[in-house]
Amino acid sequence: MSYLGIIITFVFINNFILTQFLGLCPFIGVSKNLESAVGMGFAVTFVMALASFATWAIYHLILVPLNIEFLQTITFILVIASLVQFVEMVIQKISPPLYKALGIFLPLITTNCAVMGIALIAVQNKYNALESFVAGIAAGLGFLLAIVLMSTIREKLDNEWIPKPFRGVPIAFITGGLMALAFMAFDKALLNNLLG
Amino acid sequence: MLLLKILYAFLVVGILGGVLGAALVVASKFFSVSKDERIQQVEDALPGANCGSCGYAGCAAYAEAIAAGEAPLTLCGPGGAEAASKIAEIMGQEVEVSDRKMVAQVHCRGTKETTSYLYAYRGLKDCNAVHALFQGDKECKYGCLGLGSCMKVCPVDAISYDSGGRVVVDKDACISCGNCIEACPTGVMQFVPYEADYIVACNSKDKGAAVRKYCSVGCIGCKICEKKSPEGGFKVENFLSSIDYDKMGDRSEAAKGCPPKCIVRVDSLIKGVDEKA
Amino acid sequence: MWKEFTKGLFRENPIFVIVLGLCPTLGVSSRVINALGMGAGVIFVLLCSNIFISLLKNFIPNQVRIPSYIVIIASFVTVVQMVMQAFLPDLYDSLGVFVPLIVVNCIILGRAEAFASKNGVGASILDALGMGIGFTLALTVISLVREVFGSGTITLFAFGDFDGVVRIPGIVDSPARVFVLAAGALLVMGYLKALVGIIQEKGGKG
Repeated sequence: MSYLGIIITFVFINNFILTQFLGLCPFIGVSKNLESAVGMGFAVTFVMALASFATWAIYHLILVPLNIEFLQTITFILVIASLVQFVEMVIQKISPPLYKALGIFLPLITTNCAVMGIALIAVQNKYNALESFVAGIAAGLGFLLAIVLMSTIREKLDNEWIPKPFRGVPIAFITGGLMALAFMAFDKALLNNLLG
Repeated sequence: MLLLKILYAFLVVGILGGVLGAALVVASKFFSVSKDERIQQVEDALPGANCGSCGYAGCAAYAEAIAAGEAPLTLCGPGGAEAASKIAEIMGQEVEVSDRKMVAQVHCRGTKETTSYLYAYRGLKDCNAVHALFQGDKECKYGCLGLGSCMKVCPVDAISYDSGGRVVVDKDACISCGNCIEACPTGVMQFVPYEADYIVACNSKDKGAAVRKYCSVGCIGCKICEKKSPEGGFKVENFLSSIDYDKMGDRSEAAKGCPPKCIVRVDSLIKGVDEKA
Repeated sequence: MWKEFTKGLFRENPIFVIVLGLCPTLGVSSRVINALGMGAGVIFVLLCSNIFISLLKNFIPNQVRIPSYIVIIASFVTVVQMVMQAFLPDLYDSLGVFVPLIVVNCIILGRAEAFASKNGVGASILDALGMGIGFTLALTVISLVREVFGSGTITLFAFGDFDGVVRIPGIVDSPARVFVLAAGALLVMGYLKALVGIIQEKGGKG
């Protein structure tokens, strides 16, 4: 698939949160205000881009030649956990305010299904190194898009008359559901129309 | 063949783990951020509610400011005297602390049945929003607008609606951060001592006759409380009674004798029961 | 002791109360059989990892505990992957990428960190079973709603002549497809969570 195709697929058609259900925990947990949503979105994109490249390398350069593909899950998660730890250190050094703002959610990127998900999907789709990297960035941007949209909606919802049982998590889910409905407009036809 | 696979599996995972671990150790030295160890100690002495009433973005930020010598040691309301003295110990300084815990309480008992409204409000569910329109939809411009702006900023969820729809603060849950007092546009949310037995649940400084017209539970400034409980610390000023809590006398006679029944027991507020004095 | 088991079922149900492990919940709940399969996998991994971590808790140094837990959990997930691929290939294909994603299921790491690392093996076993079964129950409820309204069927295990699909007359001919799609999953989850909130309040008052 062409690189543009990959980007459109992972940002819109197969948006990780709104179509694939990957990355839901921070989507519900971190989307209360815009700043933390943006910070989280960029941190996740950064990790996803590096992770998809690193896991491609591990899979194709080590696991496949030695015929031990079954180690995929273990090695991928090891790489991702280390990468998140590394990113945490870098952010703490470069931008302490961002580090404080993200707080506990930074180490939680390790258990974010989206990062592991893109690594596994890239391998499944048999992408080469650059395609994996691009897919990682695109998926991260899709995540960023969804979480930023969600946070702006939630900020407005804070001031509305919501029935008590629905306040907080339930209304967030329903909002997400409506967003997912809207995103259904992006399907394979979009890809065909844009790329001919 | 199988043995070889097992061997490879061990080697790959082991070496990968080792390499990644070593890389992280190197990186941590490279990216190390030196931290004053007192910061962690001060942070541990703070209650960790991250309410922001000290003016800093959370307990960690306040701890850093203290360790850097930039902040006074007594800004933490929730931590109170205990936290301030612990922090003083850590920083090797002295502090003067008053030991009285203050809690927020709503000084208004008006409901849709007992007070009159000027207009029907259908806007944002926010007291400051409705207050921007002629100081609120109630005829009483000093009363509780009931839309819950205080609830939104309370870090410990101490504020809720009682069975009559009035806003009440659970004094046992209150951490004295003061966020609700800042958020309240009419000033009905005020600090009282934790041990306070009664409050004058009204904030209206209008003349008694005017109050009678728009609210059946508002203070009319009749001064009966001053007469019935002379040692209770009641003082009527601007047609509104208030209690000086340094006076420790009996207040129940005043509560019994108050015509609009606006002197209420704090303990009964959270249960939504009007005290029949 | 019994309480360690029952708390995972309702009062601290991982999906409806603690709100963890959302990704597989919404991802696999389009058919009941998927929910049951995923639930079984999660119970297995949760049980084994809780036991192991509880046994090893005094030997794992504090600084490396999270990576160690992850490696232990990942190993058991790999076992589940291989077993499912070998004996239940259709289920493995439907669950897709969510099988290896069990390793990042917050519930498993969460229980390891919050419970197994601090309690004995017996309690950890009960905790794992309670949380796992609670997870499976919640997942099954969600998938029942989604599949019945979204495809008009209930898909269970195939045995003998029965192909495993229970067709519900009336709905199966014109189901509301949105329920088996992403949007429907999120909407169902929202309404169910609100329902749970109402039940909790009634329970708290009564």
